[in-house]
Amino acid sequence: MSADVSMRDALYEAPGPRTQRRVRVGTALSLALLAAFAAFVVRQFSVNGQLDPKYWSFFARWTTWRFLLQGFMGTIHVAFMAGVLAIMGGLLLMLGRISPNRPLSAICHVITDLFRSLPSLLLIYFFFLVVPTYGIRMPAFWMITLPIGLAASGVLAEVFRAGVNAVPTGQVEAAMSLGMTHGRITRRIVLPQALRIVIPSLVSQLVVVVKDTTVAYVVSYPDLMQNARVLISNYDALVSMYFVVAILYIIVNYATNQLSIHLAHRGGTQVLSRVDEKPV
Amino acid sequence: MPVGTTEPIIRMHHVDKHYGQLHVLRDINLDVHRGEVVVLIGPSGSGKSTLCRTINRLETIDSGEILFEGRPLPEEGRELAALRAEIGMVFQSFNLFAHRTILDNVTMGPIEVLRRNRREAEAEAMELLARVGVEAQAKKVPAQLSGGQQQRAAIARSLAMHPKVMLFDEPTSALDPEMINEVLEVMVELAQEGMTMVVVTHEMSFARRVADRVVFMSDGQIVEQGTPSEFFDHPRSARARDFLDSIKGH
Repeated sequence: MSADVSMRDALYEAPGPRTQRRVRVGTALSLALLAAFAAFVVRQFSVNGQLDPKYWSFFARWTTWRFLLQGFMGTIHVAFMAGVLAIMGGLLLMLGRISPNRPLSAICHVITDLFRSLPSLLLIYFFFLVVPTYGIRMPAFWMITLPIGLAASGVLAEVFRAGVNAVPTGQVEAAMSLGMTHGRITRRIVLPQALRIVIPSLVSQLVVVVKDTTVAYVVSYPDLMQNARVLISNYDALVSMYFVVAILYIIVNYATNQLSIHLAHRGGTQVLSRVDEKPV
Repeated sequence: MPVGTTEPIIRMHHVDKHYGQLHVLRDINLDVHRGEVVVLIGPSGSGKSTLCRTINRLETIDSGEILFEGRPLPEEGRELAALRAEIGMVFQSFNLFAHRTILDNVTMGPIEVLRRNRREAEAEAMELLARVGVEAQAKKVPAQLSGGQQQRAAIARSLAMHPKVMLFDEPTSALDPEMINEVLEVMVELAQEGMTMVVVTHEMSFARRVADRVVFMSDGQIVEQGTPSEFFDHPRSARARDFLDSIKGH
């Protein structure tokens, strides 16, 4: 299979004349529905007075945007550090879990499952309420970043493990037959291929990390959501503010997607052969 | 054919192996001498691939011993890796590293294991790729090559390690018919240059033309062995005769 085959071509056969007609009708219908829905939304906004300038005019002020952008940068900061922490932690947990060292493997297994099954909000409360009682003071930034990063590291450890399992055994056997040692095979052969395999799941999980940062209000960390909340209470402009904030989150997550796709293709090698070997 | 004159490079002594209930290798005794080409044939499931894979310990054994240059195979770690570096292996499904170019595939062993410098390793790799006829594909990734090209590149990758022995585990079984000969030609040349080879194959014409010795296996046992003409023209055992009859149609 070539890399140029799009998902569409891989899933559906080429449309015949009847299908093409049906596709055109379907396209027209869904466009009409979409337009009707948009009109309905605008109408509801206007009926309920949400289009009133008082809900939108403050967006013309630089201070509004400066405050929102400060929150935006806070969100990016937390999401980035939590993402880095999750990827590093996930890799380490996975490597520990697949290591031949039994106790290490068992410990990593338990930690992985623990982080994976605890809600991140509960972890946040732990760092916010429990840790300080032991005299450990940390800034709000870390009280939100650590729990989100740790929760995601548990999930990513499993994602990475699935990727490692998906690398054909023949790749490892070939590396062994060249005299490569276990650690070298892991670094040079298994991980590079496993990471490429899991890019889609990795992206989904990083998007979850971005969304998890919205609970930063628990520790009063000024992220986008927290700052939006402040503006809402100042201007009493709930719907318009959430509308703008939603668009900002969509932009961040779209950028996360694009960045990952870019990284995935940077190696220049798009196609992985999946021939598995059956020894007899 | 040097037999018994020097110490064998590979010696298998009363080797047994089970997969659960299945007795895949039964009391295997086999010597391979330097420069010898030994071809393993037999019905599928007879244990010939398993036997081949025990020689560089991709498969472990339950009992008996395997000596390489007079020393038992190391069981693990750097010693085992060092042993494998001296034994080339070519697989049925090529197993080129899917994420690296053909050139990287060939230079990886010399650079990472033998600690050669990149420039020298690449120069030699290009010579080897030219020798097997795929130098034009050096910058491509494996999936962009035909099966025959991939297998020839895989042979070049093994040769780059300057192995003392080459193991071929059904090297042409996954190839389209028109690509089998281009791979066999490379193997014939290697044999003529004096490479010590253990080859698991179904290509009887190759066995006849190149083998110093044909080893026939069935049900995990070595049933009989001899020169190609002895084996193909005068098989001694009923099982060998049955096997040869069953493939005559091909």
